[in-house]
Amino acid sequence: MGIRNLVIMGAFALASVSVFAVSAKAEDVTINVWSLDRDIQPAPTLVADFNKLNTGIKVEYRQIQFDDVVSEAMRAYSTGQAPDIIAIDNPEHALFSSRGAFLDLTDMIAKSTEIKTANYFPGPLASTMWDGKNYGVPKATNTIALYYNKDMFKAKGLDPSKPPQTWDELLDAARKLTDPAANVYGLAFSAKASEEGTFQFLPWAQMAGGGYEAINSEGSIKALDVWKTIIEEKLASQDSLTRGQWDSTGTFNSGNAAMAISGPWELDRMLTEAKFEWGVTLLPVPEAGAERSSAMGDFNWAIFSNTQHPAEAFKVLEYFASQDTRMFSDFGQLPARSDIAIPATGKPLKDEALKVFIEQLKYAKPRGPHPEWPKISKAIQDAIQAALTGQMSSKDALDQAAEKIKAVLG
Amino acid sequence: MKRLLSSITDGKGFDILLVAFPLGYLFLMSGLPLLYNVLMSFQEVDMFSRGSFWRPFVGLKNYRDLFAMPETLPILYNTGIFVVASIAGQFLLGFGLALFFWTNFPGATWLRGLFLVSWVMPGLVVGAIWNWILSGDFGVLNFLLRETGIIDGNIFWRSDPDFSLWAVIIANIWLGMAFNMILLSVGLSAIPKDLYEAAELDGANAFQRFWTITLPMMRSTIGAIISLGLIFTLQQFDLFAAITSGGPNNSSNVTQYWAWDLSFRQYDFAKGATISVIMIIFVMFASVVYVRSTRHEVRG
Repeated sequence: MGIRNLVIMGAFALASVSVFAVSAKAEDVTINVWSLDRDIQPAPTLVADFNKLNTGIKVEYRQIQFDDVVSEAMRAYSTGQAPDIIAIDNPEHALFSSRGAFLDLTDMIAKSTEIKTANYFPGPLASTMWDGKNYGVPKATNTIALYYNKDMFKAKGLDPSKPPQTWDELLDAARKLTDPAANVYGLAFSAKASEEGTFQFLPWAQMAGGGYEAINSEGSIKALDVWKTIIEEKLASQDSLTRGQWDSTGTFNSGNAAMAISGPWELDRMLTEAKFEWGVTLLPVPEAGAERSSAMGDFNWAIFSNTQHPAEAFKVLEYFASQDTRMFSDFGQLPARSDIAIPATGKPLKDEALKVFIEQLKYAKPRGPHPEWPKISKAIQDAIQAALTGQMSSKDALDQAAEKIKAVLG
Repeated sequence: MKRLLSSITDGKGFDILLVAFPLGYLFLMSGLPLLYNVLMSFQEVDMFSRGSFWRPFVGLKNYRDLFAMPETLPILYNTGIFVVASIAGQFLLGFGLALFFWTNFPGATWLRGLFLVSWVMPGLVVGAIWNWILSGDFGVLNFLLRETGIIDGNIFWRSDPDFSLWAVIIANIWLGMAFNMILLSVGLSAIPKDLYEAAELDGANAFQRFWTITLPMMRSTIGAIISLGLIFTLQQFDLFAAITSGGPNNSSNVTQYWAWDLSFRQYDFAKGATISVIMIIFVMFASVVYVRSTRHEVRG
């Protein structure tokens, strides 16, 4: 076999490879999707179902770890290796959309029959917006409300059908329910030095007319004063400062706290662990009739701006949105949609609780949206902790936070 | 050509080749990232310019900004306390244990092996366990202190700014003690027995034997272990993540945790790199001590 034969064979091999490549392209468009969902969670399941439809779009899925989502996405985008679609945590959405890393979907959504902005809760939708344009679609959502132990309410002479509705009532109930001799705190919540602390505190500031842009407003200071009272009067454990929401609510489930502020992700564990009657009520407001607010969590879908196939990627998002009705029944997550009713689960405690959470979602507000949210959040966390440890007054702590936030906002 | 070949198989060329591989490896795996880190601390790093190499230079701006932050000095101070207290605790307890097991009572080797368990466990697991032990309301430590009458009310180890740093130090001492003990045990067994016999014949008491034989003979081991301890405590991260997250209000925050928080939580990579550079200076100091104290071992 001479060199010439080899060359001919090589050329033939090359040609056939490129022919295959071309034919593959003509058949299927490949869309890459990244999210943190595991195999029993929505994203991979929906991707598999979509691929079965043979639409000429082939979706490839990659799971990324929660801690890596942002750094992985930034690295991929800056080196031109970004996927077409990514699921991003809602406070980090603006980081990408403000820098043009996400595709502006406003026009596509306006024409879409499947994705209608009017169908979404305002909070989750707002987290996908930047500069008045749509840069994504909410994937799922959650919020926080007040869990309370009805048996303890009865034991302390409180009416279990009338849970606290205002901050004063909450303090009052917490004082009555706290029982150091029985190892019971009135309330469990989280003021941890992480995003969880901000997640829990910001709604309080917002209900009193504050917010991250006005973190040292009178209302925000009042909100932090209430938190300070709760810690200083030992109505909640001092370990609330280093404990996340999941561990804090654990103390509620074990009967060591009479009330807890947390979200719907607690429901299944509570059903099996809590050996008492419990209920959920809306987050108490500063005074009767005041504006409501709550935290807003979970992820959004977005399309990277350097995708080769924006139309096909959007079709995939439309399919995901069309399956939002399965979000709760199949995966136990709340769709970010106000037009989808949550089906009954057959467990009365859970169904009652879900009704409250759906109601609470109407008032849920996004964190930001702001491209430098993590820095704003850190300033808020530091202020909460400085005040709750007694190192600073609420006003001084929030003044300092406002100073830091002003530097970020520019 | 032939001379070159023979030099590579047997001669100077062979020596150079042997040295070149580890040097090249070190340069690729440690040198380049280190230099890149230093470079980053003088640049304006944006999350989207992270993939590129030449970014706008800002001179010492990152350093100036860093030292203008109110939390910087307290965090450096915390790091100092953490390092000194951890090393002192690990070394003294480790040395005490090593001396104890050196007496070679029945089962000593066996027990000494058991102590290594703490060294084998991953930092996050140790952190989670200490997280429970140090819990304010239901922690075992509080229970013991209360039952023995040392304290009246619960101490919130993790959440009280007066104790939070010490909570992590206690966990870190426990974690590093076994490593100190093993290295010191090795050093102790290397001391020739006849030295002690001679000293005993001359009438030296136990304290004198310890002070004039054990300590001087252990000098290089002690130098090595303290500089290794400095490096290990400066890279201790898991315990902070698991026990206090640097809180409350940065009272238990140290440079290594802060660098991570700035880079990967707040996406301020330039400041994260700047802190790392400051830490590198400390670690280099420790490395010099380490190399100097182990030099004898290599030659001997």
